[in-house]
Amino acid sequence: MSNAVHAPRLAIALLAALALAACSQNNEVAAEDPGHASGEHGSSSSAGLPDGRIAEGEKRAQVKSEATKQSCIDCHGAEGNAPTTPTYPKLGGQYGDYLAHALQQYRAGDRQNSLMTPQAASLTDQEISDLAAYFGSRPSQLRDLHGVD
Amino acid sequence: MMRPLPLAACLALAATLSVAVVTAQTPTPTTAAPAEAAPAAATAAPATPAAPVGNPQTGRTLAYTCQGCHGVTGYKNAYPSFHVPRIGGQSAEYLTQALTEYKKGNRKHPTMQAQAQSFSDQDIADISAYLSSVK
Repeated sequence: MSNAVHAPRLAIALLAALALAACSQNNEVAAEDPGHASGEHGSSSSAGLPDGRIAEGEKRAQVKSEATKQSCIDCHGAEGNAPTTPTYPKLGGQYGDYLAHALQQYRAGDRQNSLMTPQAASLTDQEISDLAAYFGSRPSQLRDLHGVD
Repeated sequence: MMRPLPLAACLALAATLSVAVVTAQTPTPTTAAPAEAAPAAATAAPATPAAPVGNPQTGRTLAYTCQGCHGVTGYKNAYPSFHVPRIGGQSAEYLTQALTEYKKGNRKHPTMQAQAQSFSDQDIADISAYLSSVK
């Protein structure tokens, strides 16, 4: 008697559990997406790059690329701190791992720019690490927003 | 024998709630999109050549949302792992370009794309004016 009464309730409970499981799975995927940002677009983690060499990066920053006939400092200025055009970012003292990520994104096509896309296309992982280490080590005009007015 | 009942009630309630949340969330973007698109189109149509002039005071208020990541010293993005960039002191022109690229999807980052899509061109100009002025 009591089993017969509880059977439909148990069925509802099981369905609810299934629905909940399905929902929570979807939620997990959605919650993971923002963090996984660029990983799903083929640009590997900057953690997988070789160690950057500041001195090598300094040399590489002055080499004009085949594609654009420009070097890094031709546009971003000395030490990456004097862009020739305001739409070009300052690079000096920016986080090196962010700079490496940006170059990887350009190389992978996850970030599009008429100059930077061809500029980064032929860079090796080692060159990306070296350039990132060099510009990241320069004096900076940049800051995070901690404690700003 | 009595245990499954409260459990079932909780599960059913949770399931109903999550369905309710999903259905409540779904219409929000669709109703918000035309509401945002209308003023954007209205300002963009006559003023296509002239970019909006940024107001740093307005931008300061709007930039509150940036603090969650860019205001935490050493904060890192996960997968891939890298520090979120220092953006205070970049030029307004570069920041406007960056936000516009995120908005258009030419630059990929789910959080930044979602943020940028919620901003009008005027908002972007205001935020950029403020962030470039940060010392």
